[in-house]
Amino acid sequence: MRIDSIAFRLIVASMAWVLLVLPLAGFLIYALYREDVQKSFDAQLEKLVTAITIDSMQPVDNTPAAPTNRYEPLFEVTHSGWYWQIEPLDGQSTPTLRSASLATASLPSPMALGYPPDPETNMRWRNDVGPDGKPVRIVEVIDRLGHASDGPRYSIVVAGPSEWLEFSVSTFRNRLTAALAVAGAALLALMLFQVRFGLAPLKRVEEALAEIRSGKATRLEGGVPAEIEPLRDELNALIQSNEDIIERARTQVGNLAHGLKTPLAVITNEARESKGPLGTKVIEQAKVMTDQVQHYLERARMAARVGVIGRVTPLKEVVDPLVRALEKINSGKGVKIVVNCPPDAAFQGEKQDLEEMLGNLLDNACKWSKARVTLDVEQKKPATATGRKRLKIIVADDGPGLTKDQRARIGRRGLRLDETKPGTGLGLSIAIDLAQSYRGSLNLDQSKMGGLKAILDLPAA
Amino acid sequence: MRVLVVEDDTDLNRQLVGALSDAGYAVDSALDGEEGYYLGDTEPYDLIILDIGLPKMDGISILEQWRRSDKKVPVIILTARDRWSDKVQGIDAGADDYLAKPFHMEELLARARAQLRRAAGHAKSEIECGPVRLDTNSARVTCSGEPIKLTSHEFRLLAYLMHHRGRVVSRTELVEHLYDQDFDRDSNTIEVFIGRLRKKIPAEIIETVRGLGYRITAEDDAN
Repeated sequence: MRIDSIAFRLIVASMAWVLLVLPLAGFLIYALYREDVQKSFDAQLEKLVTAITIDSMQPVDNTPAAPTNRYEPLFEVTHSGWYWQIEPLDGQSTPTLRSASLATASLPSPMALGYPPDPETNMRWRNDVGPDGKPVRIVEVIDRLGHASDGPRYSIVVAGPSEWLEFSVSTFRNRLTAALAVAGAALLALMLFQVRFGLAPLKRVEEALAEIRSGKATRLEGGVPAEIEPLRDELNALIQSNEDIIERARTQVGNLAHGLKTPLAVITNEARESKGPLGTKVIEQAKVMTDQVQHYLERARMAARVGVIGRVTPLKEVVDPLVRALEKINSGKGVKIVVNCPPDAAFQGEKQDLEEMLGNLLDNACKWSKARVTLDVEQKKPATATGRKRLKIIVADDGPGLTKDQRARIGRRGLRLDETKPGTGLGLSIAIDLAQSYRGSLNLDQSKMGGLKAILDLPAA
Repeated sequence: MRVLVVEDDTDLNRQLVGALSDAGYAVDSALDGEEGYYLGDTEPYDLIILDIGLPKMDGISILEQWRRSDKKVPVIILTARDRWSDKVQGIDAGADDYLAKPFHMEELLARARAQLRRAAGHAKSEIECGPVRLDTNSARVTCSGEPIKLTSHEFRLLAYLMHHRGRVVSRTELVEHLYDQDFDRDSNTIEVFIGRLRKKIPAEIIETVRGLGYRITAEDDAN
């Protein structure tokens, strides 16, 4: 994927928000969960400390009763992480009561360590390390255990293993991270799909453009997304205006031809009437002018074609009318043109150019033939995998033909091998120029029927 | 043989008329499309030379209208537009031949002769009737190999009859096809020229069909 592509921009943008939003969401969920777990653990400790406080109320003899361990059996197991301790304050001599799990250890009082009470519950909280060396969470309640309001106070402390808390939170964190990573990966995959799906019409436009370039279509047709519609319309307008310009150029060239050729015909005819050196000179110069006009008209036509978006011309479209016309022109001689052309053969180029090439070759063949002219079209597979198909068009006649030497000289502009037959001598050289402008070629050979064989090699469509 | 020239360039029109008249045809001319169409539609020409780019009515439309009203006269079109698509368009519209400007007058005359021969059903450039032989290329007549000197009117008459050998040609048809539209048609010059011809070639070659006209017997019929 290219860095300057729309797909790349879309993917980078969506990756950025996935990478930003997912960790943020993860952190938030983690914090909420952690707080929640902490609260429920604290609630459990609170419940225990309240139960123990109520349990040990013995207002009669001033001595707190040892609480039962029915709320948490682990108070009985040494170093279980669950502990309680009831310590008399205000200088009382009664002994401190401890859970069996504490064994010989004691729990330091948060009040003694200076922790402030929670204003709502009046409890003090702290985290510490228990006698087993594992982290514990400690809660302390100061209570008179049923004595009158001026009686002595006791510090009731309950501890629970916060290691479990940490474990639960970190397990949740790991699972959350994994889940979010999977979600992120899925999002990215969906995004790739979305980008491809979203940009698919562009791909279709690209293919349609390639079709236009290769000449299989002349306009960008079919449904395009609303965003591309203006682009399509502009493009079609551009193609149309391109065609209009070419058509105008051709028309103007044609007008120029008409404008120049009639006066030239008049001058030449007039000069032929007047014998003498002036007439000869005028005829000679008029011929030069005619050739020049013809030459530059051809060039202008070819130039008008350069840059034209490729066209495809089915051979039938050109061959059938030409054969019809030439057989009619030569009906006095009774020339038959035998055509052998695959119905799907097509030329990659302008119709007019193919008409000129084939028209000139067929006309030439008809002019010299006795009775029979053949036109054979073959489609050749490309020589390499990347190469394009070629057309091989062979026009042959049963006329007198040309010698090897004559064939070598023909095609030079304006050269006429036989002045007795009418013609400008430009036909073959025009066909050669046109073939070359399509990177093709025109070669001459001897036909089996005895006459000339012209072999035209052109790009196929 | 009567020929119509439709060409808007006055110089070229004059040259064409001159060259065709010199070649022994009776020539009418028109300088614009409407006049050309009208003449071709109403007069019995043997050949029409038609320019494509014409004022008022273009050559292709004229040709199409003639063909639509079933006029079979051979038409050679002239045009500066020498692309094959133009040529094909002209031929498809009903033209029999095509000549691109600038052209040599000799070539036009050669094509005109070819079209006239073809219209009369002759493939070769020479037409033979018994000992009389007409070379359409050189416009020469020989009898038993001996050249015969004919005036232009005599030649036109003989050539028309020979082109249509085997068929009875009426006096009216001869007048219509041998003289341009300004000719005085009431005169009996046809009979005068037939009489002169019969003195120069064997008299029995031109047969008088009473009340109908004249006929030159075709070679095959004579045998």
